[in-house]
Amino acid sequence: MGDELVVQNLNKTFYVDGKPLSVLEGINLTVSDGEFVAIVGHSGCGKSTLLKIIAGLESPDADGVVTLHGREIAKPGPERGMIFQEHRLMPWLTLEKNITIGLDDKTRREKMELASEYLRLVKLEGFEKAYPAQLSGGMSQRAAIARALVTGPEMLLLDEPFGALDALTKIEMQKEIIKIREEKKTTMLMVTHDIEEAVFLADRIVVLSNRPGRVRDIVTIALSDKRNRGAADFAWYKKKVYDYFFEPEEDAGPEFAI
Amino acid sequence: MRNKLLWLGFSLILPVLIILLWVYVTHNSILPELLLPRPGKVMEMFWKQITVGTLKNDIRVSLIRILKGYALAAVVGISLGVIMGMSRIAERFFTLTFTSIRQIPMMAWVPLLIMWFGIGEESKVAVIFMAAYFPILINTLSGIRRTDPKLIEVGRMYNLSKMKLFTKIYLPSALPNIFVGLKLGLGISWMAVVGAEMIAASSGIGFRLNDARALMQFPIVFSGMLAIAITGVLMDWILTFISRVVTPWDKNKS
Repeated sequence: MGDELVVQNLNKTFYVDGKPLSVLEGINLTVSDGEFVAIVGHSGCGKSTLLKIIAGLESPDADGVVTLHGREIAKPGPERGMIFQEHRLMPWLTLEKNITIGLDDKTRREKMELASEYLRLVKLEGFEKAYPAQLSGGMSQRAAIARALVTGPEMLLLDEPFGALDALTKIEMQKEIIKIREEKKTTMLMVTHDIEEAVFLADRIVVLSNRPGRVRDIVTIALSDKRNRGAADFAWYKKKVYDYFFEPEEDAGPEFAI
Repeated sequence: MRNKLLWLGFSLILPVLIILLWVYVTHNSILPELLLPRPGKVMEMFWKQITVGTLKNDIRVSLIRILKGYALAAVVGISLGVIMGMSRIAERFFTLTFTSIRQIPMMAWVPLLIMWFGIGEESKVAVIFMAAYFPILINTLSGIRRTDPKLIEVGRMYNLSKMKLFTKIYLPSALPNIFVGLKLGLGISWMAVVGAEMIAASSGIGFRLNDARALMQFPIVFSGMLAIAITGVLMDWILTFISRVVTPWDKNKS
């Protein structure tokens, strides 16, 4: 397995009323082909910003480098798909048109076929002509997954994709993501603040510190039974990640409540 | 369906009460018949005017003027609104000029426009245009501006061209607002044309009202006003219907 994504010495500073505000500091990270990496941190620690930089929607400070298979990321590309916390479907387009919005070079017929294929993949067959307002939250997020996958990305960027869903739908969607990963072999990079979700889905968990976000640790998950949330080692990993956030730490700065 | 009928009945209560009051006032001679004719007489005149009289032709003449001026205002208002909504530079460039022009009431344009265009069609069309383009422009601008940045980000994620961003995201997002502007503009057009025709014209519904007033034919004045109200409501309904067809996803419409 090659190193697909390499993040080197990445910093990101925002300017608020002209004052610099460091959001990410000295981030180093590599993600291999086919790997599932979860990034866990407090809200406001810059984890979504990191994902947006990798997506090409934001640019890092000048000294940092993000490369995908050796090529520097400067803007979004079809080899990266993004799923946001909200489904972000266009309310005025049918699912079919929503899903194929990024496919410019295809004929109408090809688009329709691809839409049907990917709607089937996310178990929404028959909803080609439906408008987003006719769907539940879970169904909308499934459609958003189909939209991200239809361009055939090597890598899927997931920004707290199930954060807005109810607990049961969330578990269902997590299983769905595992299935898609097995079928499509897509590399996954997910931002979440749900520790259980991270342990359940990821091969490695990147723990980010509070602002400015730095990589505190990377936990490799080696579960005996990946599907069993009740297993002892599952609980052990959960506790291990949990302790990064809720134990007294010497280097803890002032808390930012956001 | 039943509910719809009930609501229709409910909205008819006030008009019926007003007509009853009108009947009461005229039949008890509280106001002189000359100033406030009886409803029956107005209705009779209204019918006569529509079937054999000039009213039908007056309305037609005014409507054609509106169509011309309003179509022009819609094209200019929507285009400029879109350009200003998509480009900060364009907004800066135009805003001061437009808001300054806006301060001049539409009726204040009439003398100037008559000097330029005469009392014929062109001056009416110009008055309607001056009155209607601004609400259309402002609402289009705010519709484009209020496009959800999260949806635009999706467009950027797929590297959509500026044109595609416009047709797939900005324009549909702004459409409900554009229709608000179109409706406002249509209402104002109707007012503007009647106003302009009353000041200087030789045809049209506004001219007919003024002419009837000068000849003390108050039933004609009343039936003309009735015709203006009915035509205005009908035009508003037509536009509401079109907006429903064009924006089927929008649930905020009345």
